Amino acid sequence: MNAPASTGMRFEDRLNPILVKEVRQALRGKYFRVLFWITLFVGTLIGLGVVAGSVSSGSSDAGRVFFMSIFGVLAAAVHCFVPFSAFLSTSSEWDENTYDLLIISNLRPRQIVQGKLLSALIQSLLYYSTFGPFLVFAFLLNGIDLGSVLVILAGSAATSVTLTLVGIAASSLATNKVMRIVVMALFGVGLIAAWGMTLGFAAGITFEPQVLSSIEGQITFVAYLTVAAVVALLAQSVAVGRFAHEEENRSTPLRVMTTLLVLFASAWGGWLVAQFGDPQSLFACHAGAAALLYFPWLVSSTEPEELGRRASVLGPRGRLASLLAVPFLPGGGRAASLCFAQAALAIVSSQFALAAAGAGALTSDSTLLAIAALYTYGLSYVVLPAGVAAYFLRRHSARVLLRVLLVVAIPLGIVLPAMLSLFLGAGAGSAFSHPLNPFTTLFDIQFGDASPQALVLLALALALTLLVNAPRMFAGWREVLRARRAREQETLDAPRA
Amino acid sequence: MSGALEVRAITKRFGSLVAVDAVSFTVSPGEIMGFIGPNGAGKTTTMRICSTLELPDSGDVLVDGTSVTLSPREARARIGFMPDSYGAYANTTIHEYLDFFARAYGIRGDARRRVLERVIEFTSLGDLREKHIDALSKGMKQRLCLAKTLLHDPAVLILDEPAAGLDPRARVELRELVKALAGMGKSILLSSHILTELAEMCTTVTVIERGTVRGSGSVDSIARGVSGLQRIYARALAGSERLERALLELPFVKNVHIEREGVAFDFEGDSAAAAALLAQLAGAGLGLCEFAPKAVDLEDVFLSLTEGRLQ
Repeated sequence: MNAPASTGMRFEDRLNPILVKEVRQALRGKYFRVLFWITLFVGTLIGLGVVAGSVSSGSSDAGRVFFMSIFGVLAAAVHCFVPFSAFLSTSSEWDENTYDLLIISNLRPRQIVQGKLLSALIQSLLYYSTFGPFLVFAFLLNGIDLGSVLVILAGSAATSVTLTLVGIAASSLATNKVMRIVVMALFGVGLIAAWGMTLGFAAGITFEPQVLSSIEGQITFVAYLTVAAVVALLAQSVAVGRFAHEEENRSTPLRVMTTLLVLFASAWGGWLVAQFGDPQSLFACHAGAAALLYFPWLVSSTEPEELGRRASVLGPRGRLASLLAVPFLPGGGRAASLCFAQAALAIVSSQFALAAAGAGALTSDSTLLAIAALYTYGLSYVVLPAGVAAYFLRRHSARVLLRVLLVVAIPLGIVLPAMLSLFLGAGAGSAFSHPLNPFTTLFDIQFGDASPQALVLLALALALTLLVNAPRMFAGWREVLRARRAREQETLDAPRA
Repeated sequence: MSGALEVRAITKRFGSLVAVDAVSFTVSPGEIMGFIGPNGAGKTTTMRICSTLELPDSGDVLVDGTSVTLSPREARARIGFMPDSYGAYANTTIHEYLDFFARAYGIRGDARRRVLERVIEFTSLGDLREKHIDALSKGMKQRLCLAKTLLHDPAVLILDEPAAGLDPRARVELRELVKALAGMGKSILLSSHILTELAEMCTTVTVIERGTVRGSGSVDSIARGVSGLQRIYARALAGSERLERALLELPFVKNVHIEREGVAFDFEGDSAAAAALLAQLAGAGLGLCEFAPKAVDLEDVFLSLTEGRLQ
């Protein structure tokens, strides 16, 4: 065998097995082929129509209109069809009974998720390369510059990757058929919404390319890419956890990722404060982080309390390392510890960020108070009810129901007091402004208008959350230390055995 | 024990239901153990625990000396699990399916090509290698699933209902494949509802009901354990009536009845008593020409051990 052939074979051998399988299946399957040809046909038809219309009307916007029309079709493919295909491919592992076969092979969950992502990327690449000549044609028609085309395509690629990972994660969360149909419908709606947003983003750049020249425009674009990357990483952590065996450690990657997210929000917010001198940007970054943390907090704090036989043999050997690792190990009580730790980390790192950015003391105080209140809301809406439920819930189905209830906890917390207030005859305008509504309260705190009662209520909620969760947090720490001692004893006994 | 499957007092609960209760047994290399029990007895749960797919609440399973509880990844490399529900990928040929799983087991380069050839040849799928698996018959799918199970050359094979839904020819072919695998020194744990099938294939059986083991060992030894009896068939040139009369006067003999050209009876004694019985019959001038333990029907053993109650 000659050298290039041998190198080729070695490369082919190193390819992710899931990637090889998925690409073979996709290229042979009806879903990809039919959609590919339909997309190409519709793209060509629309393109020709736009060109004919522009020529007859003598419009100077022909290039832009042509670009937007083609990009609309391309975006439908890479932002809707490809992520949806990744969703279906992931759910088929459960539907076709192949999940068990995968996890008893040598494949690690990370490889499975990466394989599915890479396969989706190859499909997207096929779409991009097919529509490439059309986009070049739009550029030749004038009206759109190369920079705008590249920025739009970069944003589109980032969106496609993120949506694909979200699709894989969402599909892996719903392993029973009824739940999957609900999640599939929600995901489908989300994809259509994302497609619309991408078109809006592309139209903004296409028709007003000067936005990219401004610092605000550039920061917005970078912020968009950053959020897409963070969501993608979180979705990947969720999917990797879900592809692990249910009795193995599914929690740690997501817990590490969410902790990094908190630090990242402070760093990004601190940089924005330094650039624009507005501490509210730090709060905005943490508000975004808190929104992303809501779901991981919800899932991890409602996990079963026990470490499990397989997870208990893992973990660091040293006592200090074991103590530090506790919040990152599976279990609801340990998750509660992590939620408190992340809230504290957010406040401390924000303080550092504000100090480093040279923000004024007064605005810094109100921003820090608002960030503290933000995470207190998170703790009160998620960790408090999860802690109460931990005293009663044992069954998996009850745990699922609790998670569903926690998803709607904030809307209920906002609407129910408002409805009660309206029912009791309070003014319609102020009905939604109450301490259970995080939006109005946080707004008030930021601008120094918060009522003392609201702050006292938040402090009480925080104390109650800590009190309710303390037993399971303590039990969680004790279990990890006991497991460490057992491992230590086993090591000591091993030579004697 | 090298290459063995050792199940040590495993217990698994699902809420208040005890699906598997302190189940223990061992499958040695070259042994084919039939795992039988009514629906819901805990067979699949036990097999899934042995395959690392479930974690026992207590107890452990050692696969070739490796714990499925503490070292699942190492154990998986030694286990070939064929689930009862067959997992197939759409738009995939037989060769691609096996190639994917060979890659998934980390088999690379020429080794992968050799392994694929070996299992395809062993399972006689050579002529169908480019056929889409959606178009395969049930028997061929079971063969493919077995081929997939053998890719990484596991020491222990766990086959959950491999003969379910197969036609008689496919069953015979599968039986020959399983026997050939046992001949290679693999430890095989196999569940089935087709007891005649198991009786022809298995060297030992374990009967499970409501999560507990009701009996384990060879079919004969279980039967003896259940009733304390050994069933014997004898034939004499003097005729079955005379043989029957003679037997009725001898100790440890029960349930004597004429069967075909001879007499079948239950014998309560031990081996020494059996030897004495044989000597007495031989010396009785009956022209004894046949005296052998009668093959025990697995179905009888199963029915006598189980109560047929579901969990």
